[in-house]
This record gives sequence, C-alpha cells and structure tokens, in this order.
Amino acid sequence: MKAVFITYGQSLRHPVEEVLNKLNIRGFTRWEETQGRGSETGEPHYGTHAWPSKNTSALTIVDDEKVEPLLEHLRQLDVQAEQQGLRAFVWNVEGKM
Amino acid sequence: MKIYESAVRKPISTILIFIGAVTLGLFSLNRLSIDLYPEIEVPMLSIITAYPGASAEDIEQNITRRLEDNLNTVQDLKKITSRSQDNMSVVTLEFEWGLNLDEAANDVRDVLGRVETYLPDGIDKPFIVKFSTSMMPILFLSATAEESYNGLYKLLDEKLANPLNRIDGVGAVNISGAPTREIQVNVDPKKLEAYHLSVEQIGQIIAAENSNIPAGAMDIGSERMSLRIEGEFAESGMLRGIIVANIGGREIHLSDVATVKDTIKKMTIEETANGYKAARVMIQKQSGANSVAICREVREKLPELIKTLPSDVKVAIFYDSSEYITNSIDSLTETVVYAFIFVVLVVLFFLGRWRATIIICLTIPLSLLTSFIYLMFTDGTLNIISLSSLSIAIGMVVDDAIVVLENITKHLERKARPNDAAIYGTNEVWLSVIAATLTIIAVFLPLTMVGGIAGIMFKQLGWIVTIVIGTSVIAAVTITPMLSAKMLRYKAVHTYKGAGIVFKPIDAFLAKLDRGYAKLLHWTVHHRLLTIASALVIFISSLLLLSRVPTDFFPPSDNGRLEAKIELPVNFNLEQTTTLAHRLERMILDSCPEINYYSVSSGADDEGGFAALFGNSGVNQVSLGFTLSKRTERTRTQFEIADVMRRIIARIPEVEKFSVGSGQNGGMMGGSSTVDVKIFGFDFDNTGKIAEELAVKMRTIPGARDVLISREKMKVELQVDFDRKKLAQVGLTTATAATAVRNRINGLTASLYREDGEEYDIIVRYDESSRMSIADLNNILLYTTTGGAVRLSEVGTVVERFTPPIIEREDRQRVITVSASLAPGAALGQVATGAREKISELTLPAGVDIAIAGSVEDQEESFQDLLTLMLLIVLLVYIVMATQFESLLQPLIIMVSILFAFTGVFLALWMTSTPLSMIALIGAIMLVGIVVKNGIVIVDFTNLQRERGVALNDAVITAGKSRLRPVLMTTLTTVLGMIPLAVGSGEGSEIWKPMGVSIIGGLTFSTILTLLVLPAMYSAFNVGKAKKERKANAIEIND
Repeated sequence: MKAVFITYGQSLRHPVEEVLNKLNIRGFTRWEETQGRGSETGEPHYGTHAWPSKNTSALTIVDDEKVEPLLEHLRQLDVQAEQQGLRAFVWNVEGKM
Repeated sequence: MKIYESAVRKPISTILIFIGAVTLGLFSLNRLSIDLYPEIEVPMLSIITAYPGASAEDIEQNITRRLEDNLNTVQDLKKITSRSQDNMSVVTLEFEWGLNLDEAANDVRDVLGRVETYLPDGIDKPFIVKFSTSMMPILFLSATAEESYNGLYKLLDEKLANPLNRIDGVGAVNISGAPTREIQVNVDPKKLEAYHLSVEQIGQIIAAENSNIPAGAMDIGSERMSLRIEGEFAESGMLRGIIVANIGGREIHLSDVATVKDTIKKMTIEETANGYKAARVMIQKQSGANSVAICREVREKLPELIKTLPSDVKVAIFYDSSEYITNSIDSLTETVVYAFIFVVLVVLFFLGRWRATIIICLTIPLSLLTSFIYLMFTDGTLNIISLSSLSIAIGMVVDDAIVVLENITKHLERKARPNDAAIYGTNEVWLSVIAATLTIIAVFLPLTMVGGIAGIMFKQLGWIVTIVIGTSVIAAVTITPMLSAKMLRYKAVHTYKGAGIVFKPIDAFLAKLDRGYAKLLHWTVHHRLLTIASALVIFISSLLLLSRVPTDFFPPSDNGRLEAKIELPVNFNLEQTTTLAHRLERMILDSCPEINYYSVSSGADDEGGFAALFGNSGVNQVSLGFTLSKRTERTRTQFEIADVMRRIIARIPEVEKFSVGSGQNGGMMGGSSTVDVKIFGFDFDNTGKIAEELAVKMRTIPGARDVLISREKMKVELQVDFDRKKLAQVGLTTATAATAVRNRINGLTASLYREDGEEYDIIVRYDESSRMSIADLNNILLYTTTGGAVRLSEVGTVVERFTPPIIEREDRQRVITVSASLAPGAALGQVATGAREKISELTLPAGVDIAIAGSVEDQEESFQDLLTLMLLIVLLVYIVMATQFESLLQPLIIMVSILFAFTGVFLALWMTSTPLSMIALIGAIMLVGIVVKNGIVIVDFTNLQRERGVALNDAVITAGKSRLRPVLMTTLTTVLGMIPLAVGSGEGSEIWKPMGVSIIGGLTFSTILTLLVLPAMYSAFNVGKAKKERKANAIEIND
C-alpha cells in the first residue's frame, strides 16, 4: 500500500478526479483549497492579490501496482497543461485499520 | 457555491433567468410612453383675487400686501412675486423644486382663511391656481375658410372641438380668432329719449318677451296635460316687432328705436395663418396624460373630422408638440444604436475574436433592458434624460465583462478546461470588478440626491446608470463566465485565414503601439520629476483657460419654432395693428425662406381666459409665430434667423417694444435663457428712470438682445368722475350711474337667442355712431329712481388720465425687471458679467436696490449644488479606492487623473467654443468616476508586480505595458459611445452636446496623461520605500 499525495492547480480538479475514477481508485481525501509553490519552476499559488491562483490537493492510498499507472496518467495531465502545475509524491503506508 | 460557479454549472437556469429579464425589459419598453422630460410639477401657486373697480395702487395696498405678509410664513417658500393691476391681484408663490404642491396648497388655504377677514368687503373670494405644464397647449390647429367664414366658430365647435374633446386625455379644446354670432340691438339715444325709454327698460322687455314658461298641468277629462307658454323668438327677426312702449295709444316697436342686427361679434383679435384669415384651435391635455399619445390620436382622427366640414374650410396642424418630442427621441435612439455599434467594433478590434466579442456585447442589451423595467415600475417615460443615460452607460457596461473574460482567457491559455477556467478565472477577479464598479456607482448614486431643478433632471440619470452598471456587473460574473465556458476556445494566435485576414494589420498596429508606449514609459519613469513638473504646468495653465470659457445654464435648443411679440403704441386700433402686422409678415417672409408655416395674431381676445390674466393684453399687441423647416434641411440655426427678424422689426418706427424668442416646446426649458436685472424700490419715478437708463446701457452689451423693461408704459384712459353730492341729490349712487354708463357703451346682455341648441347673446347698447366722442358720453341720460332724468355732464365730468401701470412686486417689494435674452452663440455668463458692469456704472438713489436674477440666478444655484455634489463624489470615490488598496496615498496618486480630466474638459470646451453649462458640468462630474477607473487598473497591476517582487521601475513599466490595451479599450468604448451624442445634429441634440464634448475631451486628455504621468508618480512616491527595502535586504545578505 502506498500513499500518493497529489497537489495541482485548482483548474485540474476535475481531470484528476477523472483519472482516479478511470483507475478505479475509490478512496481519497481532498483539500479543495491549498496553497504552495513549486521547488523549481511554476508561480506561487497563494490565493492572494499578487498570486491569485490556488491549489487543490488530494491524498489517496492505493495498492502498489496501481501507483505506476496513476503516476503515468497524472504525468500526461501535467504535460497537457504545464502551467497549472501538477505534482504527485508517493510514500509508504505502514498500516491500516 | 459562489454565484459564478452556480452560473457555470447551471447554464440552463442562468440563461433562462436572463431571458426572463430581457422579456420583462422588452415588455416594459413596449409599454413605456414617450415624453421630452421626466414629469415635473412646477412648484408654483398663484392666488388670484378680484376687486372690481379698484385701481392698481388700491389693489396693491389693500389686497396684495396683506396677502404677501401673511403668505410669507408658508413652509418651503422660495420666492413670492405679485402683480397688482386694475381690478385684480395675482400673488405667485414659488416653492422648492420637488415639493408636494397639494400640501403647500393646503397651507396657503389656511393662510387665506385667516387673512380673509382683513381684506376689503367688496372682493371676490381669493382662489388658488396651480401651475402645470399641462396648461400649455400641446397642439395648435389653424382653420381657414372663405364662404363659411362667418359660421366658422359654430362649425369648428361642433364638428371639430367636441369630437376632439372626447379623446382620452384631452383636457380642453379652445377656439380663438373665429367670429362668433351675436344679436345686436343698437338703440338710438335720441329716439329713446323721445319715448322716455332707457337701455335697461329695452333689455328688460326683450328678456321678458323671450321666455318659455311652464304653467302647470290640467286634468282634462281622464287625461292630465301639462301647460306651457312658449314665448321665445323663433327667429332673430322677431325682435324687431316687439312692442316696447305704448304712447298715446300708439304702439312703439323695437325697430322704431333701434336697429336689430343678426351679425358677428366685433373682433378684438385677428388671426391669419399662412396669409389666410384663420381661427385657431388649441388643444390642452389633462395633467398626467401623455402628449405624444394624444397628438397621435388627434392626428389619426383629424382627416375623418375634416371630411365633415364644408369644402372651403381648411384645417392644418400648425404646431404639434409631439413632433419635437418624437424627433428628439428618434435622434437619441439613433445615438444609442451608433454608440452600440462603436462599442462592438472597439471590442472586436482589441480582442480580435468573434466569440469573445459576442459574449461581451451581449451584456449591453441585457443591462440596458433592465433600466426599462425600472422606468415602468416608477411610472417613468422614455425621455431625453433616460435615453441619454443609456447612451452614457453603454460604453461602461462592457468594462466588467472584459476584465472577467480576459482572466478566463488566461486560464484557457494555461490549458484549463473551459468550465474550470470560467469558474476560477472569475473567482480571481470578481472582487476587484465589483470594487471598480463601486467607484462608478459612487458617482451616479449621489446624482439622485441633488436638490432643485438639477435634481429633477438628473434623478433618472443617476438611477438608470446605477441600475445599468449594477446589472452589468451581475452579468459579468454570471452570464459572461457561463457563456465563456460554453463558447470560448483557446487559440494562441490568429491564423489570418478567411475573414481573419483583417486582424493582420490590427495585430501589427497593436504590437507596435505596445512597443512605442513601453519606450515612452521608460523615458518618463527615468525622468519622473520632469514629467510630473510638466504635467503640473499643463494643469495650471488649463486653469487660466477657465476664465476664457464662458458659463451658461442650459444650452438653448433649436426646436424650429420662433415667436415674435410686438407692442405698438397704445392708441392703435385693431385695423392699424393688423395692417402693420401684415407689413411685417411680408418683410420677414422675404428674408427668411426657411419658414414653412406662419401665423399672425393681432390684438387680443378679450375672452382670452387664462392667458389674459398673466399677460398684457390689448389691441396694440401683435404676435407672430413661425414654424421653420427641419434642422437638417436648413443652414441657419433658429437663433440666427431670430436675429434677422430682430433687425427687421427694429426698422419699423411704430414698434414700441418687441422680443423674438423660441416658441414653447412643452417643457420647462422651452424658450431661451434670460438675464434679468431686478430694480427694487417703492418710488415709481426713481425706479422707472433707473430702469430706462439701465436698459439703454444693457443694449450695448455684446450678446444681449431684446432688452425689455417689464413695467408697462402709463396708459391714457377716459375716466368719469362723478360728483357724489350731485348724484345723491338726484337719488343715484356711483354704482347705479356707472352701470348705466357701462350698459350704454359696453352693452347689456339682455337675453339669449336660441337656435338649433346653440345660444347667442342679445346685446343692447347705443348705436356705434352715438358712442364715438366725449360729447356722446356727456350726453348720456341717466334715469333717477324718482323717474326724473339727468345728463351725465350734470353729475360728473369726463377726464383723460394716465392710469398707474401694473405694479409688480417681488419678496414684498416693488420691482421692475430689465431683461435681456441672448444673441446666437452668446453665453449667459458673458451677458451677466456685462450686466454687472453696467449696474456698477449706475448711481442709485436712496431706497433703490438692484439684483441680478432670471436664468443667472438658477444657474448660480445649480452650479453651487453641483459643485457641492462634486466634492461629495470625490470623497466617496476616494473612500472606495482607499478601502480597495488599503492605502491613503495611492488613491491620491490616482486622483491626479481627475485633475487632467478637468484640464481636458476646459480644453475641449474652449476649442469647440462651447460654454460651460450645467450639462457640461454634469459631464465633468461623471468623469470623476470614469477616469479613476484607468488609474485603478494601472496602480492595481503595479502593486501586483511589486508584491511579486519585481523592482520598482520594472514593475511600473511592465504594469503599464500590460494594462495599456485594457485601458485604451475601456476608454475608447466610452469615448466612442459619446461621439454620437457630441456630434449629433438631430433635434434636441444641442442639449446633450456639451456633455459629450466634455466627457470626450476630459477622458481622452486624462487617459493620455494618466498613461504617462501616473507611472512616473507611482515611481516617485514609492522610491523611498523601495530604497529602504533594498537597504534592509542588503543588510541581511551582509550578515
């Protein structure tokens, strides 16, 4: 089981949801409005006057074999709309109840 | 869910709600009636008191003064004026505009009830007359006839006036100038004397003979029958056979002592239309009725009615107040359509995309239509004000939609899905869009709160623009994102294929413009002190220009109607007056080919009714009315033609005084502005002399025309002074003796002759040959109660006297007004300044005061109101901006563009030699809200760059460069939207021209300077802060 944390420009909310649906990933947690900026490129998403755009973030816990297809789909999405800024981070899940 | 999100997610609801609003708007538009101005109630009441037999001075002392002293306490009273003339006192109260007149009338009634006991016994009860625009005739018909001339009155009354009166909304139909029938019994005084008969006896006998009397009922057998005696004359000839006396067994018939004539009344007025003898039919409307609707119905009905008249009777519409109204409204509608087209073109030019243009321009009809809903719910009309408001708003309603659409496009460029782009794109800008709109509303909403006449004019404007702009902002955050989500597709660059080829030069031009501006901006920012200093110099030197722009109240409008009023010497009779009138008519016609239709009326109708109460009347009056061809079909303006007429009339030596003005157009601003100088003082001789002196001086003021003195010249009159002692000795009183004189000269209405349901007066009086000289008067035989007789010369003397003139008063002081109207192109302010100079040259005797009044007074009041309003608006706009930026300094930087706007206004007015009128001032006030929008856009974006960490000067230049197109676009939509208003040549366009000129001038000038100076100022004011920041950063690094 892996945890995948996806954070992306607000406008990608629906495409990301579609990817999850397509891969039959049912469970996820989403924060409608998050803020942040990329480590290298991409403008800040602060929801302020200077940086009006905002992020949305989603955390989903998936089986190991689903991680790669998910990342692949997300990568495609990022290439299509580079300026929206989409990043995903994967880490291990120690247990579950 | 936010409103824009709902709108995008529920397109069906959104579109249907707007379709609903549009339908309601169209429905309202269909129901709205057309008028020239919003309905206003003239805040005036008159109290008319008749006191038969009293002279002007008596009336003044005993009635007018007492009424004035008591009425002075009525609430909200602004001014009290009065006219005291023989037999009559007219006190006029003027209240603040917008007051409820019914309440005021009640107050006045209370005062009259209180004061009545202190008034002389012989007076008729004072009555209150309310002024109303509905008293103005809305339609004049003129009827000419040849064979049927003598019967014209009856024909017109039956076949025209009565059917017209039945039209809904028609108040009264009056016929003047038509001959009326009367039966004259002209007695020969010598024969009467011989038979010991008097005029009164003859009258009594005629009345007694000419009557039907019901005599009860009788039961005859089983039937009950009523009994009547019918003595009325079956035809007028029967009068001759009446037996008036029986002397020595001999019957004396009426024909033995008098000649009986069934003829037409001697006229004291003669009217001609286009050279033919004509009667005039005046149609008044009921108050609150719609002139345009009534005129249309009359026009529809008229051909049918004319068919029922004999073929020689020709009826023509001489003046139709609705024509000017519909023409003005039509030309304004055209203006609105042109403005719409211009705005669409500008949007297309800058955006270069069809779909975006459609989305944005859809907000225009949406927002405009809502104003019709407002008008319908407030019982408003489609008038000059409401339509101009639309044409003002049209350029501003697209601004919000443009900002929203631009940001959505930005998201589309980043490859967001249309729905998401629409939602998040709107989300980012909606608050600042609302804030920018608030500055506009901060300007227009206070307009609804102005007092006075300006308030009435601009209340609708304030509401309509506020509502339209309010709707446009709602549309911008709902239907614009919704349609963008459905229609907008991202295209990086133009392909220039097909019709797209037109964008190739446009794109090249805009790119070049961007580069050029960036270069210029670079220069100004690096020479900011020089830039700011030169801008300051430009502003200050424009203030000097202010003294060269004359001021005015309302721009005069060319309504194609002229009216000349001429007064001839008092001893002129109708014949002389008429001859002179026709001579004048020919002279004027020869030199003014623009005249389409003209009417001449000489003398005055002695039953003139209402008008006679207020105007001066007499057979020495001539009034000429002209209808000119359409404004677009002639080269000379109405004012130039008026000047030509003035020169012609001035050449005729018999003319004592005259004026040429524009005819009334049913509105409050009909006629032209005048400069009135009021001379207050009790002594007639002193004030009269000063008035004469001033009038002579005022005639030398360039731009002053028709300088008139309000007080009439003293008139010569015949008066009979009865000796009361001698009268008492023969058992007569002044009243009985005076009545006897009146019956013999003026005539006694003995009875009424009935024919075909119509009644005609039977008048008994001396034969004309016996009332031609003073000797005839002296010879009048007065019968005493004891049966004896005396000659008038035995109990009284006939004298010739100058009668005191009409006494005019204002604010409880006697006053004479010297008034001047304006020459073509002359401004009110110029003539007023001239008049002030002339006044200062006069040396006033003690007890005489002088004040300037008239339109000047109104103008000064309105300007005062508007300047106060401007301060309020500037403060409100500052507050809106300060809250938006959370800064006290930045709004001040932006407000510099207001100063440039004023510079532009002065410059534009001066260049087009348009005077600074109230309308131009309103334009300048609107600019306060419009120009700061540009500043807000630039400063806002510069702040944004600064917050993103861009260096000060770079931020300023980047912001300027990226905001150049939006600023130019919003400016151009407003400026081009105004151009039809500023250059329009249709009827009524003069009124709005100054506003168009001042907005175009102010906005253009301010935008150019704002684009150059504002970045420099921003840089100058923030350079200290920037240095401090840099220092702080530097220390950090050193650590």
